[in-house]
Amino acid sequence: MTELTAPNVVASPTRSDRRRKLVQNLLRGERPYMLYIAFVILLIVFSLSSPWFLSVDNFLNIGRQTTLVSIIAVGMTFIIIARQIDLSVASTLALSGMAAALAMSQINNSWIVGAVAGLGTGALVGLINGILTTQLSIPSFLVTLGSLSMARGLAMMVTNTKPVIITNETYFAIFGEGTFLGIPVPIAWTLAAMIVGILLLHYNVFGRRIYAVGGNPTAALYSGINTKRITTAAFVLTGTLAGLAALVLSARSHAARPDVVQGMELDVIAAVILGGCSLFGGRGYILGTLFGSLIIGTLNNGLVLLGVSSPMQLVIKGAIIVAAVAFTKR
Amino acid sequence: MELSGSVAAESLPSTSLVMVRAINKRFGGVRALRDVNLEVRAGEVHALLGENGAGKSTLIKILSGVHSLDSGTIDIAGKPVEFDSPAKSREAGIAVVYQDLSLVESLSVADNLLLGREPRTALGFVRKRALMARAEAFLQELGIPLDTRATVGSLPFAYRQMTEIAKALMGEVRLLILDEPTSSLTSDEVRILFDAIGKATRRGVGVIYVTHRLNEVFEISQRVTVLRDGANAGTFITAETDMKRLVNAIVGSDRSASIGTRAAPTAKRALDPSPVLSLSDVSNDRLRAVDLTVLKGEVHGLAGLIGSGRTEILETVFGLRALEGGAIEIEGRGWLPNGPADAIEQGVALVPEDRHVQGLVLDHSVERNITLPRIPHFSRWGWMQQRAAIRRAESAVARLAVKAQGASSLVRTLSGGNQQKVVFGKWNDPRPRVLLLDEPTVGVDVGAREEIYAVIRNAARDGSGVLMVSSDLVELIELCDRISVIVDGYVARTLVRGEIDDAEELHHLLQMYQASEPGSLQELSA
Repeated sequence: MTELTAPNVVASPTRSDRRRKLVQNLLRGERPYMLYIAFVILLIVFSLSSPWFLSVDNFLNIGRQTTLVSIIAVGMTFIIIARQIDLSVASTLALSGMAAALAMSQINNSWIVGAVAGLGTGALVGLINGILTTQLSIPSFLVTLGSLSMARGLAMMVTNTKPVIITNETYFAIFGEGTFLGIPVPIAWTLAAMIVGILLLHYNVFGRRIYAVGGNPTAALYSGINTKRITTAAFVLTGTLAGLAALVLSARSHAARPDVVQGMELDVIAAVILGGCSLFGGRGYILGTLFGSLIIGTLNNGLVLLGVSSPMQLVIKGAIIVAAVAFTKR
Repeated sequence: MELSGSVAAESLPSTSLVMVRAINKRFGGVRALRDVNLEVRAGEVHALLGENGAGKSTLIKILSGVHSLDSGTIDIAGKPVEFDSPAKSREAGIAVVYQDLSLVESLSVADNLLLGREPRTALGFVRKRALMARAEAFLQELGIPLDTRATVGSLPFAYRQMTEIAKALMGEVRLLILDEPTSSLTSDEVRILFDAIGKATRRGVGVIYVTHRLNEVFEISQRVTVLRDGANAGTFITAETDMKRLVNAIVGSDRSASIGTRAAPTAKRALDPSPVLSLSDVSNDRLRAVDLTVLKGEVHGLAGLIGSGRTEILETVFGLRALEGGAIEIEGRGWLPNGPADAIEQGVALVPEDRHVQGLVLDHSVERNITLPRIPHFSRWGWMQQRAAIRRAESAVARLAVKAQGASSLVRTLSGGNQQKVVFGKWNDPRPRVLLLDEPTVGVDVGAREEIYAVIRNAARDGSGVLMVSSDLVELIELCDRISVIVDGYVARTLVRGEIDDAEELHHLLQMYQASEPGSLQELSA
């Protein structure tokens, strides 16, 4: 209820206000602190209950294990903010890995060829998802449910379900086993994806438009935004990041396998939602997504260290995700 | 400002139906209602007026059992009542028709009317024919011309609203509360609604009628209660008061001086004769050979019924609807609209009809909303220049006097009038060559409405050509240099200021053209 006679209050921002705004931009979410508190509680619980949990090696281990989910979750953040969903990311990863490995084995055993083939395949799947969603107005849930199945099937068809061995040492060093400024490269790639995500979402024109498209697609259209192109771009970004994750995985395991990471799309979506994205669109932030996937990675790691049986791990993980979302939602 | 067929002439009934005494309600630190009194008699239409935030909604929510009261009493037919839930209020015979509708869109009108109380066979199957007959008979009795078999989702908004009202009147209703029922109705539909209200009051139903349109108060109500800042600002017998006194009561005497301009239209100005926008022979699925020019600095009105093609003309110019024939020129240069982005590029701006759905991202800040159509202006190499964006938004907020904490406030937290100013703010700078307005003051209170009129006049004075759709004929006559009457997808006539100076005359003119075009009404109710 606004008082009609109230004076017009427009605070002009000072420098410190702006800096606070910048921090808020990064931390934005309905109740962002709950997320960090949840993460810290998880760390404390596992530290107290397992002697092996609290060590640099183990944290690097968590980082490495979380890599695939974190990288793809950056893209999924854009998708979910734009009111879409992409169920095909795990299959896209598998198909991109096969494409990278096969391309290398066919053409000069060159790591560049492998990288281009892997990223390109991911981008192509994303493009197809985006075009089908926007041009034919099929809900992305259905489009990507279909491509989930098709991409996985194609990945299996190309070698009749056999893995493809990779032998290029440079490829291993760049994507899987080397270090960059002392950081293991999988973690370096995760950080790179996060930084690109933060720049695109919070500082680029693209991010503004993504928020608008997800916040109210009709108002965005009426404001002259090409909502179809923006939505498609989010799918292409996510597909490309699935391709990057495929490079990291295949470089670490020296092979591409068509049956890897089945069901990982659910971890990715859980990470993004845990991180404070609204499934109704228009809200979310990359740093939240990072913590969301760290929570999932820490859970996986900690439960293994505690010697919890793997069926029980699933139950506990699911329950904690639901509880965390219940806590962090508005 | 009375329209024909007034029911206000009927004398004030004497039986007291609802008596509200000294109600107080506090939300946290805010006193929403202070010792508010209200009496509604059986068979009376009692108008309830006040600016947004004056306490109307709170009072209604207390009567309908949504909110509890802190102190005070409510009597119905002499007996004290206490509502702790909407169900209790409904049991006591109070029915509320809210602005947001509660119909099942996939069902027919008849199904909706009898939802949950369908006539059944012994085995529990719905007796379809009996259901239809009952709905039909009920509508006939009310005099509401609705096709009982039509699917609600396929009806124009106005007819859905009538279905909603009919539904509220089913069962034992003693007090009917209507919350801005006419905000999206055309004058003909308002007439039908008023007839239905008249039939209800003749059966002894009391009506509380909440509106922002003062002329309706004189047409339909016997008494008026005005709330201001959560307290009674006067109760008047309609026949013994006038618009000026009501406006005084609504806004408070100190502010009324500046608002009295409504009755006095702006003086005729010499227009720059160069056309900013011209449509010749424009046709598509909803338009038939539309010829129209908007001059530089002109406010050009479009009058017509809902579904007549008014909105479609704006949508076609804004690139939302394909052009199938004819030509559009902007400042003398031919142009084929190719989507809103292209239109914005050409200097065309649209303030759409439904600001919540089409105009704003409610959960985003004022700044994000204002800069949305101009994102490229606030970026370099694709990177946002946040400071420039914030500066621009703040200057728009200041220039349009948007009452908000600042440019970072969420649009959802603003009042309707201020939200509408934010929509205008999207197009504030650079000045649009063509400004398209679709019902620019729907759901906006009296004070903010005047401010929006000033914004529209300023836009024209600064050289924009304004093309404006409105169902409020008083508003059209007050603001527009010319008014084009739209009937069934074409321009039936264009009036110049001075040719007509009275909403009643314009209303009759619309009626006349509509009558000569029988196809269009059938299309509406089909």
